[in-house]
Amino acid sequence: MRDRLSGLTITAAIAVAAAGTLIAGVITRTQAEGQSLKTPWGEPDLQGIWTDENDTPFQRSPTYANREFFTDAERAEFDRMRSTLRGRDNRGERGSERDVSGAYNNVFGALKRTGARTSMVVDPPDGRIPPMTGEAQKIAAADRDFRLAMMQATQTCKQKLPGCAGGKYDPTPTTRRDEIPQRYNTARMNRHDRPEDGALADRCLTIGLPEFGAGNGGGSFRRIVQTPGGIAIAYDVGQGQGWQRTIVMNGSPHLPASIRQWFGDSRGHWEGDTLVVDVTNFSPKTDYRGSRENLHLIEHWTRKSPTMLEYVATIEDPTVWTRPWTVKQDFTRQSEEENRIYYEPRCIEGNEGFPAMMKAARQEDREFAAGKGPDPLTKDNASGYQEPDPLQQ
Amino acid sequence: MLDRRSGAMITVAIAAAAFGAIVASSITQTLGQAGATRPARVEGKPNFSGIWQTNNEANWDLQAHAALPAAVTQAGVYPYDYARVPAAPVLALGAAGVVPGSLGVVQGDGEIPYKPEALAIKKENAAHWIDRDPELKCYLPGIPRAMYMPYPFQITQSTNKIHIAYEFSNSARTIHLDKVAPPPDDTWMGHSVGHWDGDTLVVDVTNFNDRAWLSRSGDFHSDALHLTERFSLASPDIIQYDVTIEDPKVFTRPWRIAMPIYRRVEPNMQLLELRCNEFAEEFMYGNLRKQPLVTHWEGETMAVDITRKVPPGDAFYQWYGR
Repeated sequence: MRDRLSGLTITAAIAVAAAGTLIAGVITRTQAEGQSLKTPWGEPDLQGIWTDENDTPFQRSPTYANREFFTDAERAEFDRMRSTLRGRDNRGERGSERDVSGAYNNVFGALKRTGARTSMVVDPPDGRIPPMTGEAQKIAAADRDFRLAMMQATQTCKQKLPGCAGGKYDPTPTTRRDEIPQRYNTARMNRHDRPEDGALADRCLTIGLPEFGAGNGGGSFRRIVQTPGGIAIAYDVGQGQGWQRTIVMNGSPHLPASIRQWFGDSRGHWEGDTLVVDVTNFSPKTDYRGSRENLHLIEHWTRKSPTMLEYVATIEDPTVWTRPWTVKQDFTRQSEEENRIYYEPRCIEGNEGFPAMMKAARQEDREFAAGKGPDPLTKDNASGYQEPDPLQQ
Repeated sequence: MLDRRSGAMITVAIAAAAFGAIVASSITQTLGQAGATRPARVEGKPNFSGIWQTNNEANWDLQAHAALPAAVTQAGVYPYDYARVPAAPVLALGAAGVVPGSLGVVQGDGEIPYKPEALAIKKENAAHWIDRDPELKCYLPGIPRAMYMPYPFQITQSTNKIHIAYEFSNSARTIHLDKVAPPPDDTWMGHSVGHWDGDTLVVDVTNFNDRAWLSRSGDFHSDALHLTERFSLASPDIIQYDVTIEDPKVFTRPWRIAMPIYRRVEPNMQLLELRCNEFAEEFMYGNLRKQPLVTHWEGETMAVDITRKVPPGDAFYQWYGR
């Protein structure tokens, strides 16, 4: 029944987009059903548990260059292809390193139905992230080279698997293993010499903004609770890595530049029925597609109907992109009574995998040093062999 | 000036109580934190919204206790308990590592009514504080401990939900005032269902796991924990917080703690983040580094050889299996 309902919502959204005059009609009708879109104290009511019930390509494929929406037939075809072509248990050769590493197979990466839009990026109009600045490209290339160097002697590169994309096989392990990256590491690498070598997700440090809940097995929930002049957002993201966000609404300026936070500093105000939140003061330990402490977000949250909350985030960092760009998402309201949100950030409490990875790495080091095992750099302990989602090509 | 304003607010609150919701919704209190203005009441109920913090020693020990030189001590030159000295793991902190004394927050006779076998566990917990207290690993603090840890928390009070975000470890809970299904699994922070008893918010908290502690002194509970919390405003800037603690697996009878919780009245107050799981990485994983950061100290640099022997079964990765 939920699926049928969300289908209807999307149809309604398309209709609304196609003919703006319908919006007034929709809202009038729902208000007539007794659901106010204002809080009792008269502010726009954004409260509830919200999630994006669909998967949408982040960037638009050139195939749909001038179209903001898929046809129904295209969406049905994506759903068919993603559910059948995508391997649910895509194993390597039995007993091979790839087979073992692929244990986290696609069964763990749930897919949602294909959404209406051809891209989450709505500006630039081509639905593509704008080009990076020359300096940002250089930084990204250097980072990629360093990570690929750690992979070069592995079977992953020998077999030209996705984990080695952009690199090439060299049976001689790299001499760069002891290098410390120029910038704080945020992604998994084929080295586990210290906690800082781990991906933020592996360290239970996944929170951050912007939060689009996109990607393989993605999805995120947010609960919004309001009080007169105050707004709290509780996020449920990435396998129990929930976090809390309280929006400062008193018109005061941002935190001093010396205070940097994983989730930045959120200052909000109302513009008509839209909550506008300005977010700065990000930590250099965060990384959103290359953007770190200079990331500037401007969010627009607008309740469009009893069941739909529109989220529009403009992303700005002149040190990384040649122009600002904008992502749009529609969140669907979830049942308050069912309360299917898990905002206990209960990740570190059960994170035995991360120390186990380092413990195993120390054992591999010892065996190699004693001449009893292979060079750890010839083994792939990083890529995980996940199959890409055809929707995100 | 702030006091004058608070005084005015009490008058206003009384007036609001007398004249009802329409008057209340038109009256606001100017405060820097959270909102530009905060009405004294939300839909006729006292407004607990804002940033709060307990200012007592309950997180060290709920019961009355004299100050101690450190949370971990060792025998000094005398054989007496009162003459112990700080032990190696906390020695380097000097006077910053002391445990402040307190008259305690346990009501009645001031004793926590442990069953004999549970008291033995509490004492063992206290002896192995460093290896067992979930706080040191940045695990979720649980309720009621999150209410009296030395960090601020923010209440956002709506009509059907009251959300509390705690600065420590990104923890939170939602108090449900409307109909809600219980959680599918046990939780650190419990499942909070509230109702109003006049101007007092009464919250029933259940569905706990048996992992959280109540203090750094080894006080613990089981998954049978049931809390009845009472929040009332003693003044616009003070919440009187009162909790009845029931856990038939651990305690012989229900017992009660009570304390004031103070509003953080600084005009620019806001919650900052405390991502302590990052800060606890060296504590938890330092021994797994290829090149350990703490090996020994040399020359004029203070040499603190820390022998922190983890008791069998208390390594953090064994902890879930206990």
